[in-house]
Amino acid sequence: MPAPTVAATTSKKRKNVKSSAVPSSKRRAVAESDGAVTMADIQQLEDQIAESRKHYNNIATLISMLDADGSTKPNMAVAVALCRVFSRLIAGGNMTETSRAAENEKIIVAWLKERCREYQKLLLSIIHQCDSSSQISALTLCLCLINERATHLSGDDIQDWSSGLFKGVFEAVVEARDGQAVLSDFIEKAKEFEDVRYYTFMQLADYADTERSTEIIDTLVSILSACDSVPGPEHEFESFYTQSSKKNKKVLSVNSHKKRAQDAWLAILRNNLSQSQRKTLLRIMVHNIEPWFNRPELLMDFLTDSYNVGGATSLLALSGLFYLIQEKNLDYPQFYQKLYSLLDADLLHSKHRSRFFRLMNTFLASTHLPAALIASFMKRLSRLSLNAPPAAVVAIVPFMYNLLKEHPTCAFMMHRTTSGEDTKAQLLAEGMDDPFDATEPDPTRTKAIESSLWEIETLQSHYHPNVAAIARIISEQFTKQFYHLDDFLDYTYQGMLQAELGTEDRPFKRTPVVEYQIPRRIFTDRMLEEDGGQDSGPGSLIRGLWDFAS
Amino acid sequence: MPPSQLKQLKASLRDGGILGPQQSKKQKRQNAKTGVSAQNRMKRDSALQAIRDRFNPFEIKTTSRAKFDVTTRDVGSKSTQNHARPGVTKSLGEEKRRQTLLREMDRKNKVGGIFDRRFGEDDPTMTPEERAAERFARESQKKLRKESMFNLEDDEEEFTLTHGGESLSFGEGALGDDFQEGDLGPDDESDSELPRKRKREFGDDEDLEDMVDDEEEGEEQPERKKSKHEVMKEVIAKSKFYKAERQKAKEDDDDLREELDKGLPDLFDMLRGVKPPPKPEPPKDDLAAMNPARAALLAGKTQDETEQEYDQRLKQLTFDKRSQPTDRTKTAEEKVEEEAQWLKALEEERLRRMRGDEPSEEEDEDEDESEEAGSGDEDEDDESLPDDAKAFGLQQPTTETSTRPELGVEDEDDFIIDDDLVETRSDASLSFIESDSEMDSAEESEEEQEDEEDELINGFTIPGLKSGDAPAAPEEPSDGLAYTYPCPGSHDEFLEIIEDVSMQDLPTVVQRIRALHHPRLHSDNKMKLGRFAGILVQHVAYMADQPEHPPFAIVETLLRHIHSLAKSHPDNVCQAYRAHLRQIATERPLNLRPGDLVILTGIATTFPTSDHFHAIATPAHLCIARYLGQGAVNSLADLSTGTYAASLFLQYQMISKRYMPELINYTLNILCHLSPKEPSESLGYFPSRSPPISLRLHPSKSVSPRKLRFWDMTEQPSSNPEELKLSLITTLVTLLDTASDLWIGKSAYTEIFTPVQKVLKHVLRSCKGNKISPVTRDTLQLTLDKVDNHLAQARRTRRPLLLHHHRPLAIKTAIPKFEETFNPDKHYDPDRERAESNRLKAEYKRERKGAMRELRKDANFIAREKLREKKERDAEYERKYKRLVAEVQNEEGREANAYEREKRMRQGKR
Repeated sequence: MPAPTVAATTSKKRKNVKSSAVPSSKRRAVAESDGAVTMADIQQLEDQIAESRKHYNNIATLISMLDADGSTKPNMAVAVALCRVFSRLIAGGNMTETSRAAENEKIIVAWLKERCREYQKLLLSIIHQCDSSSQISALTLCLCLINERATHLSGDDIQDWSSGLFKGVFEAVVEARDGQAVLSDFIEKAKEFEDVRYYTFMQLADYADTERSTEIIDTLVSILSACDSVPGPEHEFESFYTQSSKKNKKVLSVNSHKKRAQDAWLAILRNNLSQSQRKTLLRIMVHNIEPWFNRPELLMDFLTDSYNVGGATSLLALSGLFYLIQEKNLDYPQFYQKLYSLLDADLLHSKHRSRFFRLMNTFLASTHLPAALIASFMKRLSRLSLNAPPAAVVAIVPFMYNLLKEHPTCAFMMHRTTSGEDTKAQLLAEGMDDPFDATEPDPTRTKAIESSLWEIETLQSHYHPNVAAIARIISEQFTKQFYHLDDFLDYTYQGMLQAELGTEDRPFKRTPVVEYQIPRRIFTDRMLEEDGGQDSGPGSLIRGLWDFAS
Repeated sequence: MPPSQLKQLKASLRDGGILGPQQSKKQKRQNAKTGVSAQNRMKRDSALQAIRDRFNPFEIKTTSRAKFDVTTRDVGSKSTQNHARPGVTKSLGEEKRRQTLLREMDRKNKVGGIFDRRFGEDDPTMTPEERAAERFARESQKKLRKESMFNLEDDEEEFTLTHGGESLSFGEGALGDDFQEGDLGPDDESDSELPRKRKREFGDDEDLEDMVDDEEEGEEQPERKKSKHEVMKEVIAKSKFYKAERQKAKEDDDDLREELDKGLPDLFDMLRGVKPPPKPEPPKDDLAAMNPARAALLAGKTQDETEQEYDQRLKQLTFDKRSQPTDRTKTAEEKVEEEAQWLKALEEERLRRMRGDEPSEEEDEDEDESEEAGSGDEDEDDESLPDDAKAFGLQQPTTETSTRPELGVEDEDDFIIDDDLVETRSDASLSFIESDSEMDSAEESEEEQEDEEDELINGFTIPGLKSGDAPAAPEEPSDGLAYTYPCPGSHDEFLEIIEDVSMQDLPTVVQRIRALHHPRLHSDNKMKLGRFAGILVQHVAYMADQPEHPPFAIVETLLRHIHSLAKSHPDNVCQAYRAHLRQIATERPLNLRPGDLVILTGIATTFPTSDHFHAIATPAHLCIARYLGQGAVNSLADLSTGTYAASLFLQYQMISKRYMPELINYTLNILCHLSPKEPSESLGYFPSRSPPISLRLHPSKSVSPRKLRFWDMTEQPSSNPEELKLSLITTLVTLLDTASDLWIGKSAYTEIFTPVQKVLKHVLRSCKGNKISPVTRDTLQLTLDKVDNHLAQARRTRRPLLLHHHRPLAIKTAIPKFEETFNPDKHYDPDRERAESNRLKAEYKRERKGAMRELRKDANFIAREKLREKKERDAEYERKYKRLVAEVQNEEGREANAYEREKRMRQGKR
């Protein structure tokens, strides 16, 4: 309690304190029974503080009224009042020490600072624990306070933002219990005010330096990915939360912004990420993360590690890696070999299929690639297409068409005449093996170019008429310049079914053909004896394999 | 300095031979005799004309600037003379106007005229023939109307033969139509190629010039030579005349001959000496012998009416269908032969559909058209950006995301399980007695189709024919079933109807409903039955989803009913099937229910699944493929469902043998997860999907495989899981066996079946150590051997692909196409319609310009004439005025003189 400090002041003051302290306890009793009275009292206390410094002890009363510790429902009116009080004090310069000030002044200032810290602590604990509306208002109050301090306490601003109150606020927000609302509020602020964002990056980098739990990292990622508007090189920073930030050169420079963001991201990437988080990060890599990086090569480790994981993670890492290769001249040895190895059994069934095809289309676009390599890719794809869903076949064939058009040398895979009597005779007698070596990991050595695309030819008799029609393009004349791959990528079973069936009954353009003969049997062995006991009618396969008797 | 005009004239006259030495009288006479004089005169005139032209340079206008001589310029008409004679043309036009327009002007408001009210006279769109035909039609109509009873004129010549509205009885030459005698220029008579000239009253300047030439010639030669056209006309007329004569002579001969022929029997009789039988009496109006009613009828009728009736009868007779010979009753062999033919035709049609060819018959033409129209509409809806995928019939469903229920099936490797597979509701007992003896056999031939349909509903006498919507009749026969049932309008209604009907009687009820609402009984019945067919489809699925499993004999009977209805109401049944497929696709694509499988089986038998594209079979394929590719593999029940779906899938392709990746994927994956041991390495490119709990077989000698039961897929905890597993393995292996047979012809057989071989080997190997039922092992071994054999065979038959034996594409040529004999007058527009329209446009423009010019000239002429008249009038007036003034002055002068005289006299007097 303020007793020792107040003891040094005048007796009059002490009297006042006493007079105010006594009713305050009364009032507290009242407050518990009636809220309306408290509102008026709070107002009165606040006014008294504003009136004269002899009522400073009201601050302590108010803080005790805040009642933030135990309950989840703190008295936010008090908090607001206190914020006003402190703001006024800070603005009035009552909380700055001057060297020339009297001893007792210094004591008062120190006491005030102590109370202020106490108040801040309480606010942070509110953010930590209380219900969401209180959390949000506490956050607002904190930021208000920071604003006031940064504006009026010179030299305090950097310290406030970087290590003082804001650090606490940030931690409180991240760790807040049921903090969805306050988090989104915070993110709003960070998106709106560029200095808030700047210091958020700073805090985040600090915070993520140590290993954190998965949920916390999720929160951090969500904060960071929300701040996705990367300032351009000529960007003018204008929207600041505190006006004093305008003077801060660091906050005004794009580079330092980016540097902070980069540090923050790196700190997250270095943390122990779960597999799904890794995928999420890879997914937003190109659009959200890489633009922040002044030196994208710093991402290299992360991307190459992810690429080597295999499976879907590799697929996702591809685009980031490609960005680096393209923009930053990253030399990735055996890139194509790795890419080739990604073409495995699950690729065509994966949900990242179209994404992968888009990328692969870019990677294989160069006409300078060796034909043997292209042939290997095509052959592998056609092998896979034998086990692929129709939606994948639909994408593969036009893709291969484009490749064949780009690399005419590969046309041997569709049309190869054998020359020489001996070889012809041998072929006639023995047939041939597929020269393609499916187990060879190096795409330039698979001998795929000596093989033929029998698989695609087989798919010309696919059960789905449209797929069969598409597969037929490789045996027709290559008159079309190229197919727009994008038109073929995003098909699914659902989509194809819907295209066939529509959403409601529509009259047929052509009445479907109905089998003319009504079969004698569908499930049972009806009248089997009449047919001589031999079941050869339609549906005999099912009847042979299944027992419908019971 | 050139000589004077007079001297020049003299010189040129001399040069032209006009001024020559005088000819003697004798010479003159001789010349006149030989016709030289006329020739001379002509020569003289032309020479004079030339001289005149030369001496009056303003008479001839040459085109001011010569155009470049380019090939495409129209040179035909004006190339020879690029100089005009404005004076001549102007005076000609003036003359013509004076003759027509001026006369009209003079007559205006003074003289009456005759209106030409003949039909179509002022309608230039009608050809003269049309006009004549129409006029004739009106004329005859008017006559037929018979306005007045006492009109004596219209008795005889009602039906004279005419041609072009003219009576043909005129003999020769009088065929000239009145339209030809109009005020046409003399040159237009034979000029049918230039109708526009005829239409316009005055031609262009150029035309007038032509006319001038013609007229000049005409003056010179009064009896003009007949034009070729006229000569030909005459020849034709003559030949026609002779032909008519010949015809007439022949007819006369025929008449004569007929008369002779009539007498022939008499002659024969006379020859034979037999008296001719008495001729039947002519049917006189013996009213007494007739039916009295008819007689009365006849008596009350006038002759006219009788004739009319007769005509009517006659007409009826002509329209009566001719009797045709009935088909001979066919022998048994012929019947068999015919049937075989017919089956062959059906099979060919099926093969054509399997290949996906366009329908060959013209029956589909209109459908194609409508399709095109439809596709056109769709195209309009498309964005301007062409979508490559659309060319293959692929399209992204637009509303997909909105209509898709929250199934989470968006991603291909996410699976969801819908647990309430089975509705719990029961209303039918399960006792079933084999009682469908009435449905003996499905008949094949077309004629028997109806019989067959009747057969499905036969054995049932229809008690009340008009029992359209009658509620279940009170009459209760011995089997406890009503004879009449209303035709249900919805599935719920149907459920109500059959609420008290035991399962075994369901086919009977269906049969009765069909019989009661046979389309022949009421026109509404066709629609009702169509709806009923859809309801039956729903009901089959509903029945199979019931927890107490319906006997398959009943389901089968219902499916056969549906099939039979599908023949008569294909649209309803197909829509119902499609609706069900849609339901599967949106609600439970990855958890097929037994009902769905029954429906899919029904599709396999009802529709030709071998078709390249089929509105029902294709989506059904996709449904199964989707289930096999992504469906749940969590329990043995799921695996049974999948195995059934796989069998069905294979069943679909038994004929067309198309490749199905999902089938191979599914079978291999399941085999891998059912085999006792896990494979150490990947056995192929098929994706691995593992059940959450291990379903591996724990082999023991005691278990032997059985035939899989349909209801294995619903039994929650299988009573004997090991047995089921073993049976699944056996069945799947058998499926692979069948698939291997089906796809041996595929070029990628090796690629498809190498993994199969590996998996089979793996399963066999993992079963080897353990004791396993010998049946299964035999199946495995046999299949493996077969696959080995087929693989070896595939290797032998493998050849490099030769897909591009196309004719090489022609390189696009840049050389322009030259026309060998180019005619600048002709238009070489390859598009006929465009060329035609261009021609018409040009003609219209020309005509319009010409008409405007003429009108302008007319207006000028009229103004000029009016001015002249006014001047004349003014002059007249002036004259008159002057005369009067002079008269008055005369008189006044006299008076003045008298006055003067008087004055002078008076002054003199003073």
